[in-house]
Amino acid sequence: MAELSNEDIKALGRAVDLDIQEPELTQVAYSLNAILEAMDQIDIPGLNSVEPLPIILPEDGVDK
Amino acid sequence: MNQSDIPFLSVAELAGFIERKEVTPVDAVEAYLERIEDINPKLNAFITVLKEQALEEAASATADIANGRYLGPLHGIPVGIKDQIHTKGIRTTDASKLRENFVPDADATVVANLKKAGAIVLGKLNMTEFAMGDPITSAFGVTHNPWEIGRNPGTSSTGSGAATAACLCATSLGEDTGGSVRGPAANCGLAGIRPSWGRVSRFGVDGASWSFDTIGPISRTVEDCAITLEAIAGYDPNDPYTWNVPVPDYRQALTGDIRGMRVGIVKELMDPDVCGVKTEVRDSVLAAAQVLEELGANVSEVSLPLTAISGVVMRTLTSTERVSLNPDWLRNRPQEFHHNTRVAFMTGTLIPSQTYYKAQKARSLVRRQVLEAFGQFDVLIQPTNSSAPGIMDLTPGVRSKEQAAEGLKESNFRGLYSLTGNPALSVCCGFTEGEKPLPLAIQIAGRPFYESTVLKVAYAYEQAVNITGIYGHPSL
Repeated sequence: MAELSNEDIKALGRAVDLDIQEPELTQVAYSLNAILEAMDQIDIPGLNSVEPLPIILPEDGVDK
Repeated sequence: MNQSDIPFLSVAELAGFIERKEVTPVDAVEAYLERIEDINPKLNAFITVLKEQALEEAASATADIANGRYLGPLHGIPVGIKDQIHTKGIRTTDASKLRENFVPDADATVVANLKKAGAIVLGKLNMTEFAMGDPITSAFGVTHNPWEIGRNPGTSSTGSGAATAACLCATSLGEDTGGSVRGPAANCGLAGIRPSWGRVSRFGVDGASWSFDTIGPISRTVEDCAITLEAIAGYDPNDPYTWNVPVPDYRQALTGDIRGMRVGIVKELMDPDVCGVKTEVRDSVLAAAQVLEELGANVSEVSLPLTAISGVVMRTLTSTERVSLNPDWLRNRPQEFHHNTRVAFMTGTLIPSQTYYKAQKARSLVRRQVLEAFGQFDVLIQPTNSSAPGIMDLTPGVRSKEQAAEGLKESNFRGLYSLTGNPALSVCCGFTEGEKPLPLAIQIAGRPFYESTVLKVAYAYEQAVNITGIYGHPSL
């Protein structure tokens, strides 16, 4: 995926009512691009078919 | 007993003296307060010290015990509480200017439970701002590692680690979102357990990330961890995500007998090329595995390939969840955050919903892989950190995308069990060589709600190697 520029970051910020200026702007770009790039590279078999489940259940600890 | 020796006792030892009426809670609290006065200025582990309140509660506990009303192993024991956990009538700051005057009108359930067990709250402990994983962000100043000033004490429960290691409290509470109990325990040479998600109430604890937050003890010994955890664990109707499952007598599990237990070493976290573990850490964990084997456990390697993505998945989720708590602060009062917190919160705000959703799905697969491994093993072991505690970089800012990516990789070590919700404990497994030895740590994880098994293995290891007996306490 294409890397987000500082202008992109500013625009995204405006969309959520955040005015992001330097020096934060460049540093947010570093952090966000690092996360998005790493997430974009995740391609695990079964990813599209699995349900998202944020929490663990007590029965997960029981032998099945 | 000399009063100045009291702070160096474990909770279990001090409880014995108190139960036998050889030491009173007043003796204990006075000894700790004196040590806090001497040592805390070097470490900055406390934000608030509750001198008068602690002495009043100690006098009351002393009278109760003298009159035969002994409550158990935490009665009269001085404890420290991370400043993210509400204490009635005592300010709870989250180490932020935004919260510097917040005074809760009720105790968090974990604090109420500790008090019910007779513990005495000595004070509120420093942390990183809003429990972010950056050691320099506290509005009340940086906390130092007692093993070497200037080193990272582990985040985000910085004060809980530093105060407990420096014997400024007998045991403490931290909060673990992405590793904030285990990190300080590791960096300060302590035992700290992240309980199963849902084991301990979060009611009255300022949220960091709703689907990750857990409250856990940071203590000087595994037994003290077990004592503290037992006091705070259990169902709470005020927290809809606590599960109504029985809390065992954790100390009963501390037999030292681990013969026949199946121990898996997580291959990816031991591989320098996959997760960046340093040789001295790897060697210390392998040596610990050898000890477990000598104690009769069956140790073998297990591969969990999805470990390599756990850091970024965890950070995507926690970054998004934590900014959802108080979005107006970032919009209306951005300059009141530490620069690094501001950057982290802005980043979290901009993560697309589809990325968050993908991360939750990946989390399900990571958990499935880990739970499958627990079909073969009783516990999984791995390093808690990639390296020994580093020197803190006091200059704010993110230097590059590469630096940000490195941080995601480091999150693999503790992020794995934060993602899955399994209990995981960090215990000291050695020290670096050199003039100022620094602690190294092994992480022991178990099946959901099997904290007893984790404590059992950690205790057997700790008793076999007696690291505290060799290295003692930090000299300050």
